[in-house]
Amino acid sequence: MATPTRYAYHVEAAALEMSDRPRRFLEAFAAILRHGSYNVALDAYARMSAKCGRCASSCQLYQSTGAPEDIPCHRSELLLRVYRRYFTQSGVLKARLFGGFTLTDAYIDEMAEAYYRCTACRRCKATCPLGMDHGLVTHLARWTLAEVGVIPRALLVSVREQLEGNTHNTSAIPLPALKDSCEFLSEELHDIYDVDIPYPFDVEGAEYVFFPAVSDFLMEADTLMGNAAVMHLTGASWTIGSHNYDGINYGLFYSDRMMERIVNQLVGEVHRLKGRKILVGECGHATRSAWYVPTFGGPDAPPVVNCLEYAYAMLEAGKIPLKAEKIPERVTYHDPCNIARVGRITEQPREILKAICSDYVEMTPNRTKNYCCGGGGGTVSIDEIRAFRTGPMGQRKATQIRDTGAELVVSPCANCKKQLRELCQDNDLGDVQVVGLHDLLLRVIDFGTNGNGGAAEDAALGAESSGSRGADPMPVTAAAVATPDAAGEEGEES
Amino acid sequence: MNAWLHLARGPLFWTALVFMVLGLLRHLALTLWETARAYHRAGDKDIPVRRVLQDTGRWLFPLRHLGERWPYSLTTFAFHVGVILVPLFLAGHIELWRKGVGLSWPALPNAVSTVLTLVVIVAAFALVLERASARASRALGRFQDYALPLFIAVPFVSGLLVMHPVWNPFAADPTLLVHMLSADLLLFLVPLTKLSHMILLPLTQLVSELAWHFPPDAGSRVGVTLGKEGERI
Ligand code: HEM
Ligand code: SF4
Ligand code: SF4
Repeated sequence: MATPTRYAYHVEAAALEMSDRPRRFLEAFAAILRHGSYNVALDAYARMSAKCGRCASSCQLYQSTGAPEDIPCHRSELLLRVYRRYFTQSGVLKARLFGGFTLTDAYIDEMAEAYYRCTACRRCKATCPLGMDHGLVTHLARWTLAEVGVIPRALLVSVREQLEGNTHNTSAIPLPALKDSCEFLSEELHDIYDVDIPYPFDVEGAEYVFFPAVSDFLMEADTLMGNAAVMHLTGASWTIGSHNYDGINYGLFYSDRMMERIVNQLVGEVHRLKGRKILVGECGHATRSAWYVPTFGGPDAPPVVNCLEYAYAMLEAGKIPLKAEKIPERVTYHDPCNIARVGRITEQPREILKAICSDYVEMTPNRTKNYCCGGGGGTVSIDEIRAFRTGPMGQRKATQIRDTGAELVVSPCANCKKQLRELCQDNDLGDVQVVGLHDLLLRVIDFGTNGNGGAAEDAALGAESSGSRGADPMPVTAAAVATPDAAGEEGEES
Repeated sequence: MNAWLHLARGPLFWTALVFMVLGLLRHLALTLWETARAYHRAGDKDIPVRRVLQDTGRWLFPLRHLGERWPYSLTTFAFHVGVILVPLFLAGHIELWRKGVGLSWPALPNAVSTVLTLVVIVAAFALVLERASARASRALGRFQDYALPLFIAVPFVSGLLVMHPVWNPFAADPTLLVHMLSADLLLFLVPLTKLSHMILLPLTQLVSELAWHFPPDAGSRVGVTLGKEGERI
């Protein structure tokens, strides 16, 4: 089905057979400009771009390749050239008088390659005197490319399953498997900590409806146990919806059209359950997509809370009792771009970590100036470009991690975690463990029971889930997605 | 020669000035209009005003924020100080306005104008050299990126010579003509080139932010326009 030849990433065969792509691309571009609000920014960028080169050194990719094609302004110019030529009066006039640039198939291929060599992390925006947002241009270019079929297959199959499949989630986890998985987590919590913590399903009128990245149910046992423990301890009324339990939104990475549908599906589930708020799990892009609930969800859209904001507020309020001993290992924190770039969630996780770790160190730069993990913009799901992600795109992050000397890297994001694990494997950082924030929180929560999760049990837990830590989890997921019907009945198969 | 001078100082100057002002106003009006429309259509009207204002201010007055390429940044800054102040506040220019239309305002001392003019000239050449010497800006540079700073230097060089005839190896009238013609052409170029940043720059942070505030149904409308509503993914 997939034909790997044309681009660095796989696309479906249908994409390669599409004819007349330049015309279709321009039609799509025209429609997007007409119905969206991108035109003002494009117009300003197209007119003013100073081509000064300041953005270059702020991009982790250009830092390692030094290639002209990897300069942010160069990449954005690819789309701006099309915009100028076909959508501005002077461009149309110039073309009529002197000829010049024409959109071709080969040019579309060049864009297809270029816009997936940018993770849309938006780090470079802060260095541009003219305020050009290359993440925005990448976002828009990818949408337009998607309308002529250029979509990485890994993203496409996930969205297809989420919107049109039987399971309505990107990992194609059927409900029974999900419930098994949650039961297993409850048992695990019981065995280790001697507490009874349920995963409530379909509680009508719950205050919080919970949407983690669905892959967490398979891959991040510790994070999800931490989430449940926090909700349980703080007496929250929360629930998982049986019709939709996936916060992932790959629409953000390639199509506003899909993004809108996925957000609406999520809001629909909250309304079905008469829930009051959306609680997003540890996932950067899921959180940023959920911040679009007010955009798509209309005036009575439910408020969105990220689990870090919730945990921090509860910790501050003294509702999460902690043991005396702190986490002894050296811990550092990686800011997921999607929540940190605009400064929305940077301090809450740090406050929590400082409260529970005895050796917390920062990597530099951090917060709004952080470097992308190298797998942003959905590229982490594209396994065939792993060498690129953990090589030129991720090197900077690997160096940052190495410089901290940390044993544990915390990142509250499903995508960052997968990328950082692969990055550490591929960059001689095998001893570094990548974990979620709730994983660590869980280790130091004082449940007031005997089974306080002593050292031995911690080690046992670590060993048990190390399979999911170390191994490359996505092939399983991809296989499950490719054949949704055969998708394992048992959620824990990974 | 006199007829030429008269033309350059009179009709050509006014045409260029009006062209520039109207051109910039047109950019401003269109951008404001589209910005208002984007805001009006946005599903989420919660604009982070503080951050937008901070970012805008940071680049309008960029001295605290030089970055890695600080020599380049200092050069642009120095260049801008002169390029903005001298044409507007040169005593000789104000005198012309007073004679011509009866308007006048405080002037810079001539010594200051002279220094600033020298700064602009040096900075213009430095901009070109710095662009050519750094890998990224060299890779990006278009013809206009090199030509504009050099062309901007022409009215400043000729203006300097007009003000200080003792330094001028050329005859006075041709120098004055070059000064006025190049200045006229420059005004003309402003709305047509990246120089339009002088009016659009204050809006760019806002415009970038608003682009992320989608109209709620933009996606489905695009689907309808492209005839893809019912299409399987
Ligand atoms: C009125 C307010 C103005 C503001 C706020 C402004 C701001 C800026 C900014 C932020 C840049 C960005 C790139 C850089 O720093 O290299 C820039 C570049 C530039 N500006 Fe301005 N500018 C103004 C007026 C002018 C005027 C009046 C001129 C000349 C007629 C001018 C000529 C240039 C040129 C030639 C560049 C490109 C420099 C290069 O080669 O990198 N600007 N301006
Ligand atoms: S990867 Fe990030 S820093 Fe590099 S061009 Fe893309 S948005 Fe800018
Ligand atoms: S900093 Fe801005 S103007 Fe300069 S090269 Fe980069 S995008 Fe272009």
